[in-house]
Amino acid sequence: MNDHIIFEDVSKFYGEILGVNKVNLSIPPGITSLVGPNGSGKTTLMNLMTGLVKPSRGRIQVLGYATNDPESLFKIVGYSTQFDAFPKGLTGFQFIYSYLCLAGRDRQEAEGFAWQAIERVNMVEAASRSIGSYSKGMRQRIRLAQALAHNPKVLVLDEPLNGLDPLARAEMIALFRAAAAQGSYVIISSHILHEVDVISDQVILLSNGYVVAEGQIQSVRSEIQEHPAQILIRCDRPRELASKMLASEHILEVCIHNDGRGLLLKTRDADRFYLAMNQLALNGIQVESIAPADDDVLSVYEYLIGNEEVVR
Amino acid sequence: MTRIWWAQVKSVIRLELKKTFFAKRGLWIYVLAALPVVLYIAYAVAMANQQHQTSRLARRGEKALSYQDLLAAKPGMTKQEITTLLGKPPVTFHWTETRPKGPDSSEEIAHEDYQYSDGLNDLYLGMVNGKVESVRIHEGFNQGQDSFMFAGVFQFFFLRLAIFFGCLGIFMNLFRGEVLDKSLHFYFLAPIRREVLMVGKFLAGLCATCVIFVTSELLQTAAFLWHFNPQAQNTYLYHNHGLEHAAIYVGVTVLACIGYGSFFMVAGMLFKNPILPAAGILIWEGINPFLPSLLKQFSVIYYLKSLCPVEIPVSPGTSPFFALLVSNAEPISSPLAVGGVLIVTAIALLISGVQVRRMEINYTTE
Repeated sequence: MNDHIIFEDVSKFYGEILGVNKVNLSIPPGITSLVGPNGSGKTTLMNLMTGLVKPSRGRIQVLGYATNDPESLFKIVGYSTQFDAFPKGLTGFQFIYSYLCLAGRDRQEAEGFAWQAIERVNMVEAASRSIGSYSKGMRQRIRLAQALAHNPKVLVLDEPLNGLDPLARAEMIALFRAAAAQGSYVIISSHILHEVDVISDQVILLSNGYVVAEGQIQSVRSEIQEHPAQILIRCDRPRELASKMLASEHILEVCIHNDGRGLLLKTRDADRFYLAMNQLALNGIQVESIAPADDDVLSVYEYLIGNEEVVR
Repeated sequence: MTRIWWAQVKSVIRLELKKTFFAKRGLWIYVLAALPVVLYIAYAVAMANQQHQTSRLARRGEKALSYQDLLAAKPGMTKQEITTLLGKPPVTFHWTETRPKGPDSSEEIAHEDYQYSDGLNDLYLGMVNGKVESVRIHEGFNQGQDSFMFAGVFQFFFLRLAIFFGCLGIFMNLFRGEVLDKSLHFYFLAPIRREVLMVGKFLAGLCATCVIFVTSELLQTAAFLWHFNPQAQNTYLYHNHGLEHAAIYVGVTVLACIGYGSFFMVAGMLFKNPILPAAGILIWEGINPFLPSLLKQFSVIYYLKSLCPVEIPVSPGTSPFFALLVSNAEPISSPLAVGGVLIVTAIALLISGVQVRRMEINYTTE
């Protein structure tokens, strides 16, 4: 498939250390988040995708392009890395401009594209200053500008929101969404889960170099049948509802909410629960709301990789 | 496609030159290149000072002498004959030596040193008991001797140390320095063939080393000629192959930058620690005279030595080891030597091309 980013049985070992192992992925357009704790293989996966490291085994194709052909690959790929080093002595503008000149653009074109990218990340005022004097957030934004400068079809962004203030984060998220809306592939890695939860079309969950789940957050959740779903029910008679619920074999645990106006239950079979709820509602219990309590990335993530590091 | 590659090469050169010329860690390369210039300036100052003293000595002499007059003084001539020929000496030293003649007796020998000058050259006469025993002429302008000195400094300091280590500092850092600074990914993220990047970096290193060392070479020649008077300069440059030699030295400098540059660029890709390959290449180049003919061809100095315009003479009594180091036992023709350097460079660049495609960004292991 030439319209997906494909990983076929990809493994990467750094000597004896595992980077990622037996990764099979097919990433469609839209915003895809790579989520996992430090050392789970997010950056390795991005570096593999962009040819900065070579797979020990397997094959990677980005929209039909091989990753060992940077000349073709980086015409459609922009990568904002986590590496916080820049060529010495360059201003923000020169950084982007030089990158575009390296891409073979003529001076006038490179200048135009550079200013466009700088404007997109709101760095016009600081563009003529040396990158050495930039704050962490500004360096992050100028890296994003570099990745965006040649309007790539695939944007690979390693922890792109790190070091940004809330306003800048909102602006960047809007930028990613706009790119995705235009049919681009935006691959974001993050361990700030609530952010990717909000913006992602699909997630890829990584742990210790393995892909433990992939897909839309809800579908990933439903794939994990062995883990109970948590559901928050707001109702007028929570104790009565709790006793009725506990009679069902698929209900594992019920807790009355602290405010006494609802309950939190865990079920092994969400579909059967919703059917049962229809019956109970008919028995006169006033149910205000029923909402899944664990369809966010963090919950899925906790289920999948247990007690490993999770950063909110 | 070629047009884009050339544009990319130019972009790489622009970026690299800025870094190379203004890098603080490269200051020592300028010092290395400037050392022979400083040496020749010091030599020129010393020679100018000596010439000043020589002319003062000539003015103090009883007669205005010519170089032919100085040459006329021969061992065995008497004091009277000397003063008739050259006049009263402007500078004299005399002392008495007591030599044992037998078990209980000794004899006194009268020594006298005379010094004359024609304004450019000095004549030193050693007189014993009124007769000339030794004659020595110190020439103010000895272009032959000076050109041997220039050749010696060029071959043994400039070529084997200054250019060698200068190329090490610049070419080895083209990739290795970027890895240590964690900035190589900037290039690897651009839509540019790795081989094109490699060529761009090599040409940037070559431009930098050529500018630094060719400038040094030209300044050395200027400083070397400084103490000659205009007539001697003219003679040296236009009648004694001086201009031709200067051009050849510049050419050898450029070839040395090409050859050593390619060696060190590939070494910078293959080795993490630059000291090991540098020491290895230095030893390899150093032992070149002792290597079998076939192995000699895989070194840069083998070809460069054959191209140097002045062969340094080996004084009688020099040990065979040093004689082998100085002399060029198996000289080859200039076209072969130039071709040899270029072939060695092409092999090194080919290896660099393969290596650069294999390179990965993995700063944490560096």
